[in-house]
Amino acid sequence: MGKVTDRMRFVFAVLSLIFLAVLAISPFKDYRREWKQYKRSYLRFAQGRPDTKRLTADYSPGIDQIWLPGMNVVDRCTTCHQGITQSSLADKSVPQPFRAHPPIPHNMREWGCTICHRGQGPATEVAEAHESTLAWEQPVLPTHFIQASCGTCHQSDLPQTPQLARGRQLLAEFNCQGCHKMQGIERPAMLGPDLTSIGTKVSREWIYKWLKEPRTIVDKDGNVTVNGYETEEEPRMPKFRLSETELRALAAYLSVQKAKALRPYKISPAVVAAWSKNPELISQGELRFRQMFCTTCHSLAVTRAGETKLIGGDIGPELTKVGSKVNTDWLIAWLRDPEAYLPHTRMTRYGWSDEDLYKVSQYITTKLVDSDLLSDVPKLDPPADEEIQLGRGLFIEKGCASCHTIEGVNPQKDFGPDLSALGGKNASELEFGAAKIPHNLVSYIQAKLEDPVSVNPAARMPRYSWNQPDLDAVTTALLSMKGAPPTSAFENLLVPRKPSSFRATGSFAEVYERYKCYACHRFNGYGGDLAPDLTYEGSRAERQWLVEFLKSPQTLRPTLILRMPQLNMSDKDAATLADYLALVMQHPAVNPASKDAKEFTPAMATLGKQLYEVKYQCQSCHTIGSSGGYVGPNLSNAGGWLTPAWIEAWLRNPQALIPDSIEPRRNFTDEEILALTAYLVTLRAGIKPQKTAVNIGALASEQGAGR
Amino acid sequence: MRIRNLAVAALGVAALCGASGCRKHARTAKVDPLLAAYDSEADWNDSTKMIPLGYQQAQGKRVFYQYCVWCHADSTPAGPSNRSNLTPVPALLDDGATLNAESDEYLGNIITLGGSALGKSAMMPPYGRTLSPEEIRSVIAFTRAIAQPPYQPPGRPGSQYSAR
Repeated sequence: MGKVTDRMRFVFAVLSLIFLAVLAISPFKDYRREWKQYKRSYLRFAQGRPDTKRLTADYSPGIDQIWLPGMNVVDRCTTCHQGITQSSLADKSVPQPFRAHPPIPHNMREWGCTICHRGQGPATEVAEAHESTLAWEQPVLPTHFIQASCGTCHQSDLPQTPQLARGRQLLAEFNCQGCHKMQGIERPAMLGPDLTSIGTKVSREWIYKWLKEPRTIVDKDGNVTVNGYETEEEPRMPKFRLSETELRALAAYLSVQKAKALRPYKISPAVVAAWSKNPELISQGELRFRQMFCTTCHSLAVTRAGETKLIGGDIGPELTKVGSKVNTDWLIAWLRDPEAYLPHTRMTRYGWSDEDLYKVSQYITTKLVDSDLLSDVPKLDPPADEEIQLGRGLFIEKGCASCHTIEGVNPQKDFGPDLSALGGKNASELEFGAAKIPHNLVSYIQAKLEDPVSVNPAARMPRYSWNQPDLDAVTTALLSMKGAPPTSAFENLLVPRKPSSFRATGSFAEVYERYKCYACHRFNGYGGDLAPDLTYEGSRAERQWLVEFLKSPQTLRPTLILRMPQLNMSDKDAATLADYLALVMQHPAVNPASKDAKEFTPAMATLGKQLYEVKYQCQSCHTIGSSGGYVGPNLSNAGGWLTPAWIEAWLRNPQALIPDSIEPRRNFTDEEILALTAYLVTLRAGIKPQKTAVNIGALASEQGAGR
Repeated sequence: MRIRNLAVAALGVAALCGASGCRKHARTAKVDPLLAAYDSEADWNDSTKMIPLGYQQAQGKRVFYQYCVWCHADSTPAGPSNRSNLTPVPALLDDGATLNAESDEYLGNIITLGGSALGKSAMMPPYGRTLSPEEIRSVIAFTRAIAQPPYQPPGRPGSQYSAR
C-alpha cells in the first residue's frame, strides 16, 4: 500500500465530482424525456385555454395507453396526443400533437390508434412511434392512404371511402386479377378479349402496332386528355417491353389464329345498289350511329382548339380509329351477332335492318379511320413457321395467357405474385433493388406500379400509365389487403361483401342476355351502375310505358350524354322484358295494383298543382313541358310513366325506395301527398319520335363526356 | 499528469454531452400537406391549386357532390348546371364573399329547414330528413375549406402557443 499523495487526493476529488455529475444527469435525462416534455407542455397549453378544467380532467403525469388484448393493441399514442377526444381542440390552429381526432364512426378507446394508422403503439419516442427503424418496422400510414385501413375489415364498399372504392374498381377494370391473387377481387369469366379467332378480325400489321403502342390518340403533348384529365380511357391493354423480333413473332402467331372461320354476311344487293352511290350514305350512317347511342359504351376522340378529348362511355373500347383496325366483313358479322365471335362480350345485339347495317358499317370504315395509323409499322411478310413457333412461346412466357384465351394454350392462373397480403408487409420483406426511393411499403407499391422494372429489373409485369389520383387509389386498395386476419378478434370484425342474388329466368333470360341489359342496369345487386337500378322497376313504371320506352327510348333526363341505346327491339322482345319487369321486379311495400288513378278528384289535382308550383317549387329541379330544372327526371309524362302507388310511396320517403336518391325527403302531410300524387298522375305527354338526335349528338360533342 | 487531467476532463464532457441530449433528435421530416390530408379538392378558380381536406371536410365533399353540386356549382358531374334555371341564382359553394359572413348555425338551419323556413327562396329544399346532422356539419366544413376569399373563423384567434 503506497502513500496517499496529494496528487491522488486531487484525482479522487475530481473523479468523485464527475461521478456525482454523471449520477445527477440520469434523473435530469429522465426528466427531459420526449413524452414527459409533451405531457408538461400539454398542461401549460391547457392552462392557456378557457376550458382548462375539462382539458385536464383525466390528466396523469405517467404514460397513457390503450390496451386491447384481443387485438394485440398496446397504443401509447395518447401519452402525447392528449387532446384527441376533446372536441374544443378540433381547430386547425391547435398545435399537434394536441389536436382532436376528427369525428369518425369508431370510438378511439375501443379501437386504439395503430389498427388504422399503423406505426408502433408501444414506442414512447416520436421517431420510433412514427417511422420505421431497425427494430420497429411499421411506419405510420400517411393519412392520404388511410382509407386502406377501412378496407382491411370493410370488404364491401363504404360511401365514406371513395378513394378505396375507386382503387378496387381500377384493380378489377385493369384485369390485375389475371396474374395476381387479390383479396376480394374476383376473376370474371373473361378478362382480356378471347383471341381464338383474332386473325379473322385484324391484320398482322395492326397487331404489331397494338403490341408496340396501344395508345394511338394523343394531343400535341403526347397525352390523352379527357375533360382535362389525362388518360382516363387508358386502354386496358398495358404496354409490354417487347423487342423487334418479339413484336414480329407475336404478331405472326396471333395473325394465324382463325379457329372459328369468319362467315361473311351478305347485305342485300338491292340495299347496296340503292345506297352505295348516294352522297348522303356516310352522313346517314353517322346519324344512325348517333341515334343508336353507340357512344353510351364507346368513345370517340374529338379535337377542338388543339385539345383532344374522348367523348362517350368506357364500357366498350374507344372507336376513333376502328375503321383502320378491323376488316369490313368481320365488322358486319360482329355487329349482327357479337357473341358468335366473342363469348362473354358485353356488346348488345341490336336489331339490324340491312339498310342500317350498310350505312353504319360504311360510316365506321370510311370515317373512323386514320391513314397514318400503321405508317410506322415495318413491312411484314406472311408469317413464317419459326416466327409462329417463337410467338407461341412468347405468348406463354410473357403471361398473355393469363388474360387472353387461345385454342391449345392453357390459361395461366396466378402468373404473378400473390398480392392478397401485400398491404401488411414490412419493408424488410420487400426487394427494393437499386431503386432510390424511401424504404417503405407505400413508396415500393407506387414505384412498382409506375414502372415495374425500377424496383426489379427482371420484372415481367407490363407498364401501365396512371394519373396521380388513380395511382394513389390503386395504392390504397393494395394497402388494404392484409391477408387472413391474424386473430379471431379480427375475424369477427370483417364486414364481407354482399353477394348478389339475381338469376334471370325463363324467356326473359334469353332476351336479357341478348341485349346485355346488365351491362348498364343493376338487378337486385347484379349488373352495371351506368343506368337506373331496375330492381323495383315493376313497382315504379307502368307496363305500357315500359313497352314504349324499350321500343323507342326517350330519355327522362335530357342533359345526359350517355343514354339508353336504340336497340330496334321487336314487339315480342319488348313485351317479354316489360312483363318480367312489371311482375317480378317489385318492391315488397309498393304494390302498383293497390292504387287506382280513378280515386283522385280534380279538386285534389288542383291543390297538388298549387303545392307543386308555389309552396314546394318542385320546378326548381323537375321539368314539366318546357320549363323547369333538370336535376330530377322530366315529369311531363309522369302519369303515363309512374304508378300512383310509387308516386305516393316516393313522396312519403324517397330513400326508403332508392337509398342513395338525392330527392330530399319532405315533411308532407297525408293530404299533401294525395294532392301531389293526384296532380302528377294527370300529367300525360305522348312519346314523340326522336327528332333531335342530331342536335343531341352535336350537344354531346360540345359538352364533353360525363355521367 | 496533464494528459491524465485532460483525459478526465474529456470523459466528463463526453458523459455530460451524451446525457443532456447533444445527440441529434430524429425530427419527423416536413410532411407534404396533401399526403397528410384525407382528401383534396382543386381550387374552383385555379385547378392547379389543391386544397387539402380533413376527414370531416372530405365527407362534406362527398355529400356536396351527391346532393348539392347540381345547383351550387357551375359544372356538375353530369355536365351542365341547374343554376341557370333558378331565380334567385343560388350562391356558388366557394363564394366566400357571400357565405363567409353567415354563421355555421345559419348555414346549418338553411340546409336542415330549407329556404322558405328562413324567409328565403323555396327552391332550396330542406335536407333535415335526408341528411344526418353530422353530414350537414361536414358540408359546412367543406364550404369553409374551399371558400374564396378564405374563411376566417370568428372569435378567439387560434393560440399561437407551440407544442414545444
